[in-house]
Amino acid sequence: MLAVILSRLARMVVVMVGISVITFLIFFATPGADPAARIAGRNAAPETVTAVRHDFGLDRPIWVQYGVMMRKMFVTGDLTSFVNRGQKIVPTLTAAAPVTLSLVAGAAVLWMALGAATGIIAAAFKDRLPDKILMGVSMMAVAMPVFWVGEMVNLVTQSRLHDTWAFSWVPPLGYVPLSESPARWFLALIFPWITLSFLYIGLYGRMLRTGIIETYQEDYIRTARAKGLTARRVLLKHATRAAIIPVVIMFGMDFGVLVGGAAVLTEVVFGLNGVGRLTYQALKVLDLPMIMAAVLYASFFVVLANAVVDLLCILIDPRLRRK
Amino acid sequence: MTTDQPETGSMPPADAAGGALPPPAGPWRRALQGLASSRTAVLSGLGLVLIVLATVLAPVYAKHVAQTDPFRSGLSAKIMIDGKRSPVMERSTEGLGLGVTPIGPTWGPKYFLGADTQGRDVAARLLYGGQNSLVIAGAATLLCLVCAAVIGIVAGYAGGRVDTVLSNLIDMIWAFPVYLLAISLSIVMLGKTFEIGPIHISSSSLVVPIIIIGLVYVPYVARPVRGRVIAITNSDFVLAARGLGIRPSRILWRHILPNVATTLIVFAPMLMALNIVTESSLSFLSVGVQAPNASWGTILQDGQALLYSRPVVSMAPGIAIMVTVMLLNLFGDVLRDILDPKSVRGR
Amino acid sequence: MITKLTPARPGRWAATVATIALLAGLAPGFAAAQDAHRGGTLRLVSVSSQGTLDPHVNYTSQFWQLYAFLYDGLVGFKKVGGPESKEVVADLAAALPEVSNDGKTYTFTLRKGVKFSNGKEMTTDDVVASFQRIFKVLGPTAGTFYNGIVGADQCLAAPADCTLAGGIVADKAAGTVTINLVAPDPEFLFKLSAPHASILPAETTAKDNGNAPIPGTGAYMVKSYDPNNSMVIVRNPAFSEWSKDAQPEGHVDEIDYTFGGTEEAAVNAILNGQADWMFDQPPADRLAELSTAAPDQIHLAPLSAWWYAPMNVNLAPFNDVRVRQALNYAIDRDALVSLFGGPALAQPVCQVLPPEFPGHVDQCQYTLDPGDSWSAPDMDKAMQLVEESGTKGEKVTIVTEDNAASRGIGTYLQSVLSDLGYEAAVQTISGDIQFTYIQNTNNKVQLSISQWYADYPAASNFLNVLFGCDSFHPGSDASINIAGFCDKGIDDRMKAAIALGATDPAAADAEWAKIDGAVMEAAPALPLFTPKQVDLLSTRVGNYAFSNQYHWLIANAWVQ
Repeated sequence: MLAVILSRLARMVVVMVGISVITFLIFFATPGADPAARIAGRNAAPETVTAVRHDFGLDRPIWVQYGVMMRKMFVTGDLTSFVNRGQKIVPTLTAAAPVTLSLVAGAAVLWMALGAATGIIAAAFKDRLPDKILMGVSMMAVAMPVFWVGEMVNLVTQSRLHDTWAFSWVPPLGYVPLSESPARWFLALIFPWITLSFLYIGLYGRMLRTGIIETYQEDYIRTARAKGLTARRVLLKHATRAAIIPVVIMFGMDFGVLVGGAAVLTEVVFGLNGVGRLTYQALKVLDLPMIMAAVLYASFFVVLANAVVDLLCILIDPRLRRK
Repeated sequence: MTTDQPETGSMPPADAAGGALPPPAGPWRRALQGLASSRTAVLSGLGLVLIVLATVLAPVYAKHVAQTDPFRSGLSAKIMIDGKRSPVMERSTEGLGLGVTPIGPTWGPKYFLGADTQGRDVAARLLYGGQNSLVIAGAATLLCLVCAAVIGIVAGYAGGRVDTVLSNLIDMIWAFPVYLLAISLSIVMLGKTFEIGPIHISSSSLVVPIIIIGLVYVPYVARPVRGRVIAITNSDFVLAARGLGIRPSRILWRHILPNVATTLIVFAPMLMALNIVTESSLSFLSVGVQAPNASWGTILQDGQALLYSRPVVSMAPGIAIMVTVMLLNLFGDVLRDILDPKSVRGR
Repeated sequence: MITKLTPARPGRWAATVATIALLAGLAPGFAAAQDAHRGGTLRLVSVSSQGTLDPHVNYTSQFWQLYAFLYDGLVGFKKVGGPESKEVVADLAAALPEVSNDGKTYTFTLRKGVKFSNGKEMTTDDVVASFQRIFKVLGPTAGTFYNGIVGADQCLAAPADCTLAGGIVADKAAGTVTINLVAPDPEFLFKLSAPHASILPAETTAKDNGNAPIPGTGAYMVKSYDPNNSMVIVRNPAFSEWSKDAQPEGHVDEIDYTFGGTEEAAVNAILNGQADWMFDQPPADRLAELSTAAPDQIHLAPLSAWWYAPMNVNLAPFNDVRVRQALNYAIDRDALVSLFGGPALAQPVCQVLPPEFPGHVDQCQYTLDPGDSWSAPDMDKAMQLVEESGTKGEKVTIVTEDNAASRGIGTYLQSVLSDLGYEAAVQTISGDIQFTYIQNTNNKVQLSISQWYADYPAASNFLNVLFGCDSFHPGSDASINIAGFCDKGIDDRMKAAIALGATDPAAADAEWAKIDGAVMEAAPALPLFTPKQVDLLSTRVGNYAFSNQYHWLIANAWVQ
């Protein structure tokens, strides 16, 4: 077990180093990425730009800058932004993390529950009306861009129907910390959760339905049915269990990448200042230290989630263990 | 245990796919035959052909029906409505007189779906945009599926160090900030043409967005494929087949590939939808379809600026994407059912 | 026309000082009358924050608007709405300075009893240290606004050891500070009024202070600032009003500024009464709705700004003046106004200096019937000029920002260039990167879209900054003369006009008008339009006042 954990940790380091080096190289290969003039301000004198470049160590060799940045991020922890000067990167990221975590965790519960329900019901009613309706809606969910759904939700709940009985309870956009008021935290996140999970309900529902239908044909299911087990029991216990593997794999990937900041559109549309928005803003202005921290943070979660998922899969289906 | 003969589960899989069906065709030929005999497949295939045809005929529509150049700004254009000449960009006259709203759907030949913020015909742009979207998303989807299949199969089948390396690569791609790459590329390629050997890539080339979009979702497909391949390779019949000295290429072709194909087919329509939307955010950064050209994604982006006043501009491409994806999906479902070796007897 | 205030006219100074004295005398009466409006919290929203809180470093209109009531300089722009907001009044100095030595020496007498928000009294030490700090923190305008102070050269060369010896001389006992300039500068008081010349406590670290608030002398102080979330501003406990014009005591007790969300969401929040004001402009597709549904909540104000498209005069095809003129004739400025929300929000222009700005005289060369104002594009003339230049068919790339307005304009220009026979393309770059990218000559940008907002009301702040030889630095990201336009003759005339401003402002303004015409003759840019500011307020906000310098004067408003 220890060996497994150690090798996983080694893989994590490899991925994180690789990704940070690539990010660093892309940044310096981009013309106009030099932040000195932006830091110095519009219409700054050339002397000022040069002084700023020196002050930020931007005139040093690129590998030295990489080393300094990694040291400041992991050892001294005093890495500061190129744009919001004086903003310490690490605390900013940790402050934004709970927002994203609340959003993604809640949405994950929702999409796993509804995705499972969709897939199981559709499989049970294969080729009949409920299946067709559910699959139609799930395709719609996949085809609708998140920002569009989010803006539409806001259009209805915050503008057009805000003053009616149906949506007058909807709080203003923005995040309320769980520690401040669990009830308001919940209310503020209801629509973001629904919006974010919509796409994944569609994706997972389809995946699960296909998986169940496929495993239905497998021998052990036939055996189970031959043994006289009821159809519902077979469906829930055996068929779903095997079919859930690809869904679990996808969940690991999606969860990791969303916690790492991929939920940016939902965050921006609903005014939740999480990791995604932080990353997006940093990218827009090419704020290298913030980009770097965000990318490393995201890759950490991606690798972690995948490791957990690999373990889970073996628990669910021992065939997945390498022989 | 994935075989056609449930009563003899451990039987060598030499004739696994043949089963009771009269012509002992391979899984691939069977698919073609099945498709032709399925009403759903024929109808949805026909629908897809119609969509492609409509986008190909975009120039005809623009020239003879809408009588407009959908790539030229028409901010001061006028249109006859009810015998009155009115501007396409309607200036607000009530209240403080702020704001300019493009004309809404006329449901007539000109400005059928209304105009966008540049006063251009949305319907004509939608048809033109379909060409770009279908080409980019289609090619990217294919690229993604092929890459994912290769990586997934190799990682799953070879195992060991190869698997570790590939898995790391997959994780890296998945955690990679694509947006940073897009920003960088949009600046690097600004107004330049790249020559790699005989290949010329200009900033308006569609090759770059196809490659980027194609690679974004590779991990998403490759991981489930890998899982599937591991499960199959570890199943009794493959182990038995290996024991009997059957060539790996044959195992790959007759057992692993058909199984992987069903996974890929389920992913394909969903990837298509995701890719069309991904394309829009790349186009927004001038990587790919460039103004004034259109794609469904760019019209969607344009329409976002009119969400409150002219929602139809963003809804039209949305519906186009949805219909395309649903047809693809119906088609794919039939294909998968036919291709899936296990489902033959199930129906 | 507003005559700008210059130190060379003592008569006007005296009058202003007298007015201030009068107002100061009346102040208690006013305060009593307005007590009813005192208190409450103002809730502001913005899509994003703007970086460091340090007033010597930050160079954004979003935070300058806050510095208006957080910090003071020796002098400052009058905190009132309307044209008077362009006037400079004494702030931390008791009166406007005595100018001597042919306009090279300014002597200020400090007000007594002014305290920083940390309770410490402001002295001449703080003034001297603050001026040194401008250079030590590598302030953005150190080399462009304050480089005329004696000793500034050494400070720019070695910022850490900056003393400004001989430039800033303090007499602590008498409470006076004398500033010596290398040469007379009629715009020096404007430059001193900018937040970059705020007086901060002497002990403030000589580094960009980032997100930690620095104590100031203003009516309010920053209690907390998290750039990713919010800023809380409260009353400065050590403040007592010394001049209503320079630093009025505010009405509200607290100002909460929240960052995040989208412009659409901000409009909804204000209409729903969840917020009081948004920094960002309301999105274009909400304007028609707002102008009928909430006309009382909208305030429009002209800006000292312009949207323009610099054409690189050193790159083909724009190295031919005929091509630049042709494009100026060809663009339909009315269509561009449409892109920005219609005539109520933007005014078409074909010259550099914005309307109502010092030196502005209505003129338009590039229209169907050249004269005072723009009427319609002259496509025939444009085609003819392009034909003569022989540049038809050349490639042109337009570099825009990634916001809706900039992209829209770029797409429109692409259309016009195609009509003229060019092979044009539009490329979009993320906003903050675009601004430095288009400045660097190495990037070979032919045509781009940009904006310029005046720092202070002087014609040179447009013409000399954007088209002077001194602001063209080939190969540098900081080269605000984006067109790369350097005409020796015009440059000399601009320098002469700046010097003339010190003695005869009216004559100088007349000369600036002529220079404006001469620059447009050479056409280094396409003037597009003058934008208007839209302020959307909630129904509970009262006493709206708009200053040309600080925009909406937040501290002057009340919420009850």
